[in-house]
Amino acid sequence: MTEIIQVVIFGLLLGGVYALFASGLTLAFGVMRIVNLAHAVFIVAAAYAAFFAFEELGIDPIVSILFLIPLFFFLGVGVYLTFFVRIEGSPRYVEMTVLLTFGIAIMLEGLLGWRFTGIFRQAKPSYLTDAFFLGDYLIPTGQFYAATLSLVLLGALWLFLRFTRTGYGIRATMQNRAAAQLVGVNVRRVSAISFGISAAFAGASGAFMSYLFPFFPFRHWQWIALLLALVVLGGMGSLKGAVVGALILGVASSLVVDQIGPGWGPMAFYAALFGILLVRPQGLFGKELAV
Amino acid sequence: MIEDRAAPDELEPDVVAAVAPPKGPGKSRWLVVAVLMIGLLLLPLGRPVLGSYNYIILLVTNGLMWVALASSWNILGGYSGYISLGHAVFLGVGGYVAAVPLYYHGVSPFYTAIGGGLVAVALGFVVGLITLRTRGPAFIISTIALLFMFLLIFEQSEYLGGTAGLPLPVVPISQDWLKAPFFYAMLIAAVGSIVLSYQVAHSKFGLGLRAIAEDETKAEVAGVPTRFYKILAFALSAFWVGVAGAMWGYSLAFVRPTLFFTVAISAQMVLMAIIGGRGTVAGPVIGAALIVAVNEFSLAQFGSSEINIVITGGLLVTVLLFFPLGIVGTLRQKQLLPAFLDWD
Repeated sequence: MTEIIQVVIFGLLLGGVYALFASGLTLAFGVMRIVNLAHAVFIVAAAYAAFFAFEELGIDPIVSILFLIPLFFFLGVGVYLTFFVRIEGSPRYVEMTVLLTFGIAIMLEGLLGWRFTGIFRQAKPSYLTDAFFLGDYLIPTGQFYAATLSLVLLGALWLFLRFTRTGYGIRATMQNRAAAQLVGVNVRRVSAISFGISAAFAGASGAFMSYLFPFFPFRHWQWIALLLALVVLGGMGSLKGAVVGALILGVASSLVVDQIGPGWGPMAFYAALFGILLVRPQGLFGKELAV
Repeated sequence: MIEDRAAPDELEPDVVAAVAPPKGPGKSRWLVVAVLMIGLLLLPLGRPVLGSYNYIILLVTNGLMWVALASSWNILGGYSGYISLGHAVFLGVGGYVAAVPLYYHGVSPFYTAIGGGLVAVALGFVVGLITLRTRGPAFIISTIALLFMFLLIFEQSEYLGGTAGLPLPVVPISQDWLKAPFFYAMLIAAVGSIVLSYQVAHSKFGLGLRAIAEDETKAEVAGVPTRFYKILAFALSAFWVGVAGAMWGYSLAFVRPTLFFTVAISAQMVLMAIIGGRGTVAGPVIGAALIVAVNEFSLAQFGSSEINIVITGGLLVTVLLFFPLGIVGTLRQKQLLPAFLDWD
């Protein structure tokens, strides 16, 4: 029993981080109906930034969140204004965003591979190998920091969406784009800001990826498959769904690793994805995925 | 088969361009096709004439394989509009179906390649039953998950050689003619997939797929058996991909999960079909030829596959933003499409 609880704790710590990784993805879909296949490559790019900041300048990966958030916010706004404004009126818009972000992801992957080669990287701050005991249970310090800060960031996002004027605009656009426009929300501005926030969260995620998960450019495909699985499970566009989906799948994959074998962890995600698509394509908390 | 087409004035302008019957007698295209076929059939015999013989044969074989893959992808992604980013799975399954009997029992893949295609069709049917319950983005996402699921399964399977894969023996013929059997096999796959694509485009089934692409709900109301058609399209689009996979693994003398089950292979198929023109017969063929040439050029020019990846992605983004109809579609819309490229 103790062992199972220990595995569940590992799973929850992992799930907290996954929730942060997936939050930007679900926000982009919720507000702009963009299925952003490039989200994970944004995270990997941020991980490179955090890694080199640590290696070259000695900046702690967690501290580098402070510059990664604004940097990736502006990057996100730039990407939105460059690419997505052009396809706003196109027929089969959602499908178009999938193909477009697919192209962007490939491009960025190639650029990262060209600049930084395909070797595995991992920042190694001092707390990476530390751990402490909470009662009988082992808590790895690095994971603990990441999961806690992830939940803090997600809480901040929730407060922002709930209590600021821009947040109202974003939520109104999520609910009904045309109606939001009708009551005076500048939908394009709101969309650009939302995509900026989505990318900023990818930036923050990268800081944690840099020391928690060894990465190289090509890795982002495995990540996007995993993140999409948990976002679909929670319901695309639902922030609450992403968090719940992440925690469930974090625990599920930890149990799979513990019971079946380390190679099979991601299988929990893919199996969950197929299962949920079969039974309830809109996910736990989401609205129906329309064409 | 012109009677099968919908009256052009009932459709959107873009669609009119895509389904408008070809003008003129179209004799020139048969001449072009005949010259091309004879040239291709005789190419392996040109050994004494051509200097860098093996390079040319290899390049054309590679091009033919991509023609088969892109044309097959187009049956689902072009006609019905269901974008699959997981078609690399069928390439891998075909490759392994041929590789396992060769590795364990010495059965030549030239006999089992068709089996590779059939297994791919069966898999396409089963997977289609599940994933085609969803539409649009959810379907695309499920195909990505499918790809990674298969990568995982094949990497974890000891019988299939795990991550290292299976080494395969070389074809037991003289070194001089080593490339020729693969050349002809890929030629068959390429021609077969084009013929299949043409047949589908000119059938009631193909018309149904186009109706699904336009508006699935309306198509269903109009009596198109949408679910059956979609699954059939998914299964059919897997056949020649499976056959090509069987040949490809044998020609490389090994199979390995990371060789087949990669997003890069799916990405190339999608890019070729879209850049050439989705939903047209000639589009994927032109797209495949163009992208193989671009890849070859960029590898020779920059010597790194990373730059090549950047170019692949950049081309996809550019085409989507500025020419979403692709080469054939755009030319046809402007009524500039030469008759020999109009295979519809």
